[in-house]
Amino acid sequence: MKKHSTKIYAWLYCLPAFTLIGVIVLFPILYTGYISLTNMNLYHWQDYTFVGADNYIRALVKVDSGFLSALATTLLWTAVNMILDVAIAYLLAVGLNVEGLRARRIYKTLLVFPWAMPAYVSILVWRVGMFNTEFGLLNRFLTALGFDKMDFLSRNVPAFLSCMTLNLWMSLPYMIVMIDGGLQSIDRSMYESAILDGANPWQKNWYITIPSLKKIMAPIIIMTTFTMFKQFDILYLLTMQKGAVSGSTLQTIITYAHQNAFVSNNYGLSSAVSMVIFVFIIVFSLWTNRAARTERSEQ
Amino acid sequence: MKKKLYLKKISLLTACVMTLSILSGCGANPAPTENAAPANEAEAPADNSSEDAASSEVPASPEAVTITAWHDNDEAMMNALADEVNQALAGENITLKFEKKSDVTGQIRLYGTDAANGPDMYLFAHDSLGGFAEMGILEPVANLIDPQKEADLLPMTLEAATYKDVQYLMPVYYETLLFMYNKALWEGDIPSTTDELYDYMAAHTDANAGIYALVNQHSTSYNVAPFINGFGGYIIDKDANPGLDTQEMKDAVVYNSKFAALQADGDYNTVTTLFNEGKAAAIIGGPWLVSGIRDAGIDLGIKSLSDFTLPNGKAMAPYSGVQCIGVLKYAAESKKDAITRVLEVLAEPSVGIVLAQNFNCAPANSKAYEDPQVAENEMILAMEKTAQTAVPMPNIPEMGVMWGPAEGLLAAVNKSGEDVNDAASKYQQEALTAIADMQ
Repeated sequence: MKKHSTKIYAWLYCLPAFTLIGVIVLFPILYTGYISLTNMNLYHWQDYTFVGADNYIRALVKVDSGFLSALATTLLWTAVNMILDVAIAYLLAVGLNVEGLRARRIYKTLLVFPWAMPAYVSILVWRVGMFNTEFGLLNRFLTALGFDKMDFLSRNVPAFLSCMTLNLWMSLPYMIVMIDGGLQSIDRSMYESAILDGANPWQKNWYITIPSLKKIMAPIIIMTTFTMFKQFDILYLLTMQKGAVSGSTLQTIITYAHQNAFVSNNYGLSSAVSMVIFVFIIVFSLWTNRAARTERSEQ
Repeated sequence: MKKKLYLKKISLLTACVMTLSILSGCGANPAPTENAAPANEAEAPADNSSEDAASSEVPASPEAVTITAWHDNDEAMMNALADEVNQALAGENITLKFEKKSDVTGQIRLYGTDAANGPDMYLFAHDSLGGFAEMGILEPVANLIDPQKEADLLPMTLEAATYKDVQYLMPVYYETLLFMYNKALWEGDIPSTTDELYDYMAAHTDANAGIYALVNQHSTSYNVAPFINGFGGYIIDKDANPGLDTQEMKDAVVYNSKFAALQADGDYNTVTTLFNEGKAAAIIGGPWLVSGIRDAGIDLGIKSLSDFTLPNGKAMAPYSGVQCIGVLKYAAESKKDAITRVLEVLAEPSVGIVLAQNFNCAPANSKAYEDPQVAENEMILAMEKTAQTAVPMPNIPEMGVMWGPAEGLLAAVNKSGEDVNDAASKYQQEALTAIADMQ
């Protein structure tokens, strides 16, 4: 009986948090699901009706017209960014922990700076301050060296690399801080033993640091992978903002959905597209969680 | 033990209060009752002594009414407009209050049926009219104001304010693009044909040194419209057929790309900075640039784009954007009389004169041009002249999804070097899909 009442109390204590999650997270998803089953659009703003799965059929038909290439770009974007993000952050974090490094705190503060800046401001600063043909630092260097100016954002490959560079600049601080935190938790005695065994720096990294960081890094990598996967603002603001379209045709699934559904003011269709993307992300999430669990059980 | 029980109860009570607070946030605000006095009654003008002729025709309202209008313009300009209206309506207890909002069209879409949180009116360019009219959130201005009061409004502005033969909006002023040049940098006379202009650009541009004869947002459809319309092309016609792959459009895009090659990156900030810093001798822009140009100390010269002849013998024909007042349906129901009075004042020449004298706006009221100071304003005269060939931006809802594909086409040709035929077919298809997606 006491156990039963304890359970009730536990649920009651959690009620505010559950209500908040319900209102902020669950309700919008359910409401989007509801709208996706209606014909709510500019022409049926107040008198929208239930149309069943029509919007889903239309959303899935869109899969053949550019969606697959957007998906491929998204996967490439996620993979390349994640690999570079983790690798560079690891090298920098290890570098910051080298014994005898002076002004360590200053470096750490400077490295965190891009993370502290609002994303919108960072992106616009890079667009004008780095990539702009007239005022950008990169073109200043090019013209100073006698080369012609280059529009870094007008074609797909340079635009992809430019967006990726900015993305890494913005995302590295978080990864560095996390890896740095992980490095502090590694028992120093392991390194001392390794030195006694004659291990070189590479071996210490490979056999001690990386295995010790794996458990700490797994959830961070999963979370960052999602952030990369649903990246929107960098690509949109650098290459396709209204009034500043750059000419490249790079699309990720989120920018594709925005361009194909959200500008049309067809809320039924855009909700259906959102739900399809939501399912994609849920499947992706289940897959990564499963992969992480399998890896843990193998250990 | 007793203390533990007490803490438990307090915790439970806190949890319940927090839950109820969260849920209470989801409650709806009550809609304002008809003709209710506003909460900020104190803001109503107290000075009733300055009644003018117009207000004397109408008996004073017993309750103070505040009309809220959303806009995304220069706040000083909107304050001047509000002052003019409030002065005229001082004896009637009616106050017009402008509130600046970013993304006015998006906000109106969200709050257009929300009497409790939405505005009574909005001031914005006419091209968003069709969408709002189809949503059924606008009250036709024709239902609120006697057509005689609008007799002096320019026909072009009334056309822009009309959708499917119903006048929904009240035109206040309009804007067109102009050829603006730095008198200290431009050498010789301003050419009268676009071919001569191109020759001048070729002779006076050094892109690597960052020196330009003329800059323009060459991949923005609004800024390329003078070429497109002049060549007989169109972005979308009245029947919502996109025209990105028409021959006239392609000719205009190819012709514009020649100019684009001699202009800097077509980003707004880039071209305005180049002009304001004296690195570009001329710019194609609108009156919104003037304050920045004056601050930069540039001796500004202005020429109407209608004065430039295209190779086909026709004049350049920019879009005109008419800034209009739209009235939300719920506001027309609850504050009809007050809104009618505000609209009547806005239709008077005095409003146009204030905007023209202080902010270089071209008034929608033709009588305003009789004012000596307005008649001498070089910029307003140029816009008035341009208005003769200007094409009002399409106000059908489908135009809302055309900016993207049109800009995509221009950027593909100007920036990515794509073949115009391939790009035109691709973006025409994109436009058709976007229009189909609206339904």
